[in-house]
Amino acid sequence: MKRYILSILSITGCIFLFSSCKGFLDTKPTDRVVAETAMQTLYDANVAVNGLYIDMKYQDYYGGTIQLLGDERGDNIQPRVMSTGWVQIYTLGYESESSTYFSTWERCYQTIMRCNTLIANLANLNVTSASDVAKKNDYLGQAHAVRALVYFDLARLYGYPYLKDNGASLGAVLITEVTSPSGSRQPRSTVAQTYARVFEDLNTALPLLSKAKNTGHFNYWAAKLLQARVYLYKGEWNNAYAAATEVIKDSPYVLATRDQYINYWKEEGTLETILEFFVSPQSGIDDDGGYVSYWHNLWHGAPSSGASLIPTVSWINLIQSDPNDIRAQFVRTDSQYDPTKAWFNKFPGNGGVNFRYNNPKVLRLSEAYLIAAEGALKGSAGATVASGYLNTIRKRANPNVADVVATEDLIQIERRKELVGEGHRFFDQMRLGKSITRLDSDGHNFAESAGCPGTFDWSYFKIVLPISHTERKSYPELQQNPGYTE
Amino acid sequence: MLLCILSLSMVQLFAQMRVTGKVTDAADGSAIPFATVVIKGTATSVPADANGLYVLNNVPENGTLVFSSIGYETQEIPVNGRAELNAVLIQQAVGLEQIMVVAYGTTTKGSYSGSATQLRQESFKDVPVLTFEQAIVGAVPGVQISQKSGQPGSLPEIRIRGFGSFNAGNEPLYVIDGVPATSGDWSSGNIYTSSMNFLNPGDIESVTVLKDAAASSLYGSRASNGVVIITTKKGKAGRPVTTFKGNVGISYFAMDNYPMVSEEEGEVLTREAWRNYGTDNPAQWQKYGSLDNYVDVMTEKYYPSRKSNLIYENWEDQLFRTAISQNYEVSISGGNENSRVFASVAYTDENGINRIQYMKRFTANVNAEHKMSKYLRVGGSIQFSDQKQSGHQDGQAKDNVFYLWKVHLTPRWPFKYEDGSYWMEFYDGGTRVNPVPQFDLQINDATQMRVMLKGWAELNITENLKIKSLLSKDYLKMHDRFAWLYGHINFTAYGQGYASDRHRFIDRIVSSTIANYNKSLGKHNIALMAGWEAEREEFLYTRLAKIDFSNFGATESALASNFESGYTYRSNSNLLSFISSGSYDFNSKYYVSGSYRRDGSSRLGPETRWGDFWSVAGSWRLSNEEFIKGIKWINDLRIRGSYGTSGTLPSSYFGYMAVFSYGLYGTQAAGYPSNLANSDLTWEKNRNWNIGLDVRVFDRFDFVAEYYNRTTEDLLLNATVPSTTGFTSALTNIGSMVNKGVELSLNVDIIKTRDMSLKAGINWATLKNEVLALSEEGEQIVSRPHIWKAGYSYVQYYTREYYGVDPETGNPLYYSNAILPDGSRDRTLVSRAKASSTILEGMTAIPKGFGGFNFSFTYKSLSASMAWSYKYGHYVWDNAVDDLEDDGYNSYKNTSKEQLRRWQKPGDITDVPRRVAGNNQGGYYDSSRALKKGDYLRLKNLTISWTLPQTLLGKVKISNARIYVAGNNLLTFTGLNFDPEVQANGYYNFTFPAVRTLTIGLELSL
Repeated sequence: MKRYILSILSITGCIFLFSSCKGFLDTKPTDRVVAETAMQTLYDANVAVNGLYIDMKYQDYYGGTIQLLGDERGDNIQPRVMSTGWVQIYTLGYESESSTYFSTWERCYQTIMRCNTLIANLANLNVTSASDVAKKNDYLGQAHAVRALVYFDLARLYGYPYLKDNGASLGAVLITEVTSPSGSRQPRSTVAQTYARVFEDLNTALPLLSKAKNTGHFNYWAAKLLQARVYLYKGEWNNAYAAATEVIKDSPYVLATRDQYINYWKEEGTLETILEFFVSPQSGIDDDGGYVSYWHNLWHGAPSSGASLIPTVSWINLIQSDPNDIRAQFVRTDSQYDPTKAWFNKFPGNGGVNFRYNNPKVLRLSEAYLIAAEGALKGSAGATVASGYLNTIRKRANPNVADVVATEDLIQIERRKELVGEGHRFFDQMRLGKSITRLDSDGHNFAESAGCPGTFDWSYFKIVLPISHTERKSYPELQQNPGYTE
Repeated sequence: MLLCILSLSMVQLFAQMRVTGKVTDAADGSAIPFATVVIKGTATSVPADANGLYVLNNVPENGTLVFSSIGYETQEIPVNGRAELNAVLIQQAVGLEQIMVVAYGTTTKGSYSGSATQLRQESFKDVPVLTFEQAIVGAVPGVQISQKSGQPGSLPEIRIRGFGSFNAGNEPLYVIDGVPATSGDWSSGNIYTSSMNFLNPGDIESVTVLKDAAASSLYGSRASNGVVIITTKKGKAGRPVTTFKGNVGISYFAMDNYPMVSEEEGEVLTREAWRNYGTDNPAQWQKYGSLDNYVDVMTEKYYPSRKSNLIYENWEDQLFRTAISQNYEVSISGGNENSRVFASVAYTDENGINRIQYMKRFTANVNAEHKMSKYLRVGGSIQFSDQKQSGHQDGQAKDNVFYLWKVHLTPRWPFKYEDGSYWMEFYDGGTRVNPVPQFDLQINDATQMRVMLKGWAELNITENLKIKSLLSKDYLKMHDRFAWLYGHINFTAYGQGYASDRHRFIDRIVSSTIANYNKSLGKHNIALMAGWEAEREEFLYTRLAKIDFSNFGATESALASNFESGYTYRSNSNLLSFISSGSYDFNSKYYVSGSYRRDGSSRLGPETRWGDFWSVAGSWRLSNEEFIKGIKWINDLRIRGSYGTSGTLPSSYFGYMAVFSYGLYGTQAAGYPSNLANSDLTWEKNRNWNIGLDVRVFDRFDFVAEYYNRTTEDLLLNATVPSTTGFTSALTNIGSMVNKGVELSLNVDIIKTRDMSLKAGINWATLKNEVLALSEEGEQIVSRPHIWKAGYSYVQYYTREYYGVDPETGNPLYYSNAILPDGSRDRTLVSRAKASSTILEGMTAIPKGFGGFNFSFTYKSLSASMAWSYKYGHYVWDNAVDDLEDDGYNSYKNTSKEQLRRWQKPGDITDVPRRVAGNNQGGYYDSSRALKKGDYLRLKNLTISWTLPQTLLGKVKISNARIYVAGNNLLTFTGLNFDPEVQANGYYNFTFPAVRTLTIGLELSL
């Protein structure tokens, strides 16, 4: 009997020891890394730099929403039928209570948080060798540059154009450090303050950033071109001109030629791309095939495309007014869905393999030319200089066109042609106080029947997005944009 | 040890004799047919005959006979040389003397001060279900049970006394034969499944639902949502009994879900929508010449006429079938006073009513125990199960055939071309194709293999002191597959197919050692218990997904060309606990008890990981007091009360930590913070009190009344945090919530004679749920269609308030509900775009009452029983309104019959707006129009069985034979136009509806 008792007690004792031994309750994940130990080497910091960009490619940001908000809210792109194709963006039918369009706000702050975390961690990372110092500086520069881009986007999505009221309207909530939930409950700053933040970040970033090509990442030239764009939005024409011409003259990027132009859109890291974001089948963008990208919606020829977005009649008419314009080749009429409607094949996907996997091109050298033209025209450099930059882009598309003397309208038209599908048109019209007028292709002017004015300009309250009702319920300090009901 | 076992088989050599006698019922002296008579300590036994008479040879003169029969207490009578030995058996205790399985032990109902309901296997043994949860719907007061989906093998949702948690989970803890078990759905969620499916209902002896703190606090940090204790069948002493049970069944939809308009009505409605649109927008039809022409063209485009060269079919016939299910089980039970064994094997094959839905399950079960000596008992069990479940996603998924059928497959959608090939085109703008030829091109299944091994030893150190040590391993392997094979039109990037395999291994080791001390000193009875329990759960996950199959017909990713995703990781969740309890009663009148448990969990930070849980309870058995004992008609009368605490752990293993996650940016590693740290994260705490009254009168009426109040504090929520943190949510303890209610049950023995019995039972429960506080005063958390706000229920609806239709224009009208300067709500009627969401007072998913009632009837060898369940006073959110009652918005879709009531001309009074193509009024969208009264009454099951007379069986050596027919979900009464068994939060979104099943079965015992 004693034998049993002893054996049971000893088994019990063993199990007890095994379970009570120190650390039994200290478990750690193996598919994630505890934050305190996540950034101890320069390699870790490099991985965290990539982490800044990895989610910016999603549909709710540079994977579609930015482009839709720029082109579909403008007069370049429209839904093919009234029931599908981001109708709410086309009709400006968003409300504070609709749940669809607010993940852009969340995505922006997710990226800002990552920038802030990286900046904080880099401060504690000690490196000695000159090459390591340069790397560390580049990483820090990228964090500031990405943050500048995001704050600029927040300002133009949620705030009114700077020139409308000199930045007096509400802009972004400025968060520049890692904060707690309570510390993040700050009210919105003005657009002017947001722009100031953008410039401050860019000024910090520029001296730190490497000037070497770094596909998929910010380098000096990408930050410089972004700076040019922000000056343009702010109406600082000479500064815009100076920054843009620096990129044109000193950067290693070259314009795609007319012959290279169509294929250029399939390519990664070539010619004139200064900043693009990597999208690949391995980057987890489409887990179970449920992801529907903007490019997918545009792609009209394949049977598995969404085929719900098409170029507007007015854009087709504009581009086809010169049939030899290389960009007129973007318009195709062999739709498998609706042969009566043209579709848009500017973005055939990386390598032309799959239209879903398309690196969004965020900053290109062509934009620098157009910024330089506009900056010259409105600033002190003058119309002749402006015409040079403008005609470079015009003649790249069709070498046979006659030179023009640059005017604001001609630059706007060229921007509309050149930057179509890249998310500029609406913002370009708004920043200059111009208006958008829709000419729907099939006579279904459903934007109007859905309550959107046929023509609108920066006085229309819906040119800025609403702040999410749901977020405001738990974060009432976050001011709603005027005109939106709760 | 071997010697011990050998000694069991040794036959005692004493003088032997023949014994005869009769077995009768103590209550009325009637014979008990087929009672079992065993010579104690041997395997020798005989059944009595139909008149209770038995003859037993070779009985040792000084031996003992053991008499047993189902429903009676087993009785032992020493032979003492008598040749005639009559046994008078007492009916098994019902009511307060009934033995109950409770936390870490058993007790009698009469001495138990907690709130628990025990259901014995007899009450659900013939109900044709895959899992026991489905069989007890409506049977336990205060417990709501629904299925996540009507597909075979789906996950049940159990809510014991309301909602204890926001999103740490509201599921109870399952304890199987004393071991906290893995439960819930461990699949990737492509189809709902349940790890508890591994239990064959036929192997279950009893199910106890622990409801209050006195009952469940001993399970500490996991007991907040109640505990379900499952006791499996054990061997019974006596002649080995082999039982075979088999049944076959057929099933189909339990009701006509979402009646649709006819084809002709559909065309009328489509035309009307386009005519109205054209009338409103004359510019649109100018180029068509006339409005009539425009309507013709548009109708033909969106609701095209039937073409003579295409074949049209009734979609219901093409998509669904009457499903056949089969179930077979064989069990053997036997043993003697020292050793007992139960073993069973079972096979179930249940088909769904769409041909890709099925579940097949094989289970095997061995349970043995042995008394090694006066001091030591040992035992162990093996439960094995292998199951495969196939189906499709629920909700608005493109492979949910129910959703496709109701929303997309109109009668005008062609089925085949003339040549017999499938018509695989889609209407303009559509991304849905004929699903029938795709059934064989998609794989969506979940395979589970589970083994539960257990060994225990119990040491009786003295008569009063026992130590029991238990070690168990519960191993679950879950493999789910999702694949679109080559040729599947999946509208994604995966043109040449996609296959994803996910394996999850959950390995749980539980070890416990518990000491029990019981002592009776005269009228004083004391029971003490103390011990510890350690649990280690290891979770291993692997995933491999590849795309582009190399060959038409390839099904495995080995034959896919391109890598898509693949990884593996493991994590641990450990729990260490100290357990104790004590109870004392005096003279079977006054009972007090208490419990204390200390839990440490790895899911919380070092500062907050230890928690203390305790309870106190007491009861007073008035019927044992002298002043009531004299009242003849009161058989039992007791009041009881309890108070205590329990907790809920975060469901996330590492929710308190700040962590970095990693992915791929281009071809480079990318890392980013993926969780907002919360080092203060702590348990959800549940404070629970309960008072109850148990009455039995006239030896016929059993009445139980309870009132409970359970308050949860430090509610765990993946709470919305300001997006400016860079996160959308963080695991937080945010507030408190209360659930309170009354539970009443009444069971009546209406007829109890020797040949006939009729019993009826009814239970009714109320539930009041209220969020008491969130982290900040006045905070509101919108979780559409619900809102969480102090003073309102957890499932309070929050949306735009639909008024109805403007009789002049036919447009939908809403209350503005904008907040006016004085704080009140603007009640003017406006269009949807101008209406604000608001809390719809009184509209919640909490029912005013729910429960069930049942009847059971026996007459000689015939018996019948039925069980009903009901729920009323709650609202459900019907998400199908968006699709099926869209007032013409989308002309491709099917239309519910509700739309026939639409506004047509000025003066029409209706609540269905004018139909307009491309409707921008959005009357259907996210408003109180989706809220419908959810009241229902359902005949959950009906069984009729007949035991064949012994005269038929004697010759074939079958001791018992029974045939039965049973049905599930036979009748449903509801005002809803879809299946009313909606999950407890009230949200319904095209999950596959419940099915009605009819089975016929046979049970034979040898």
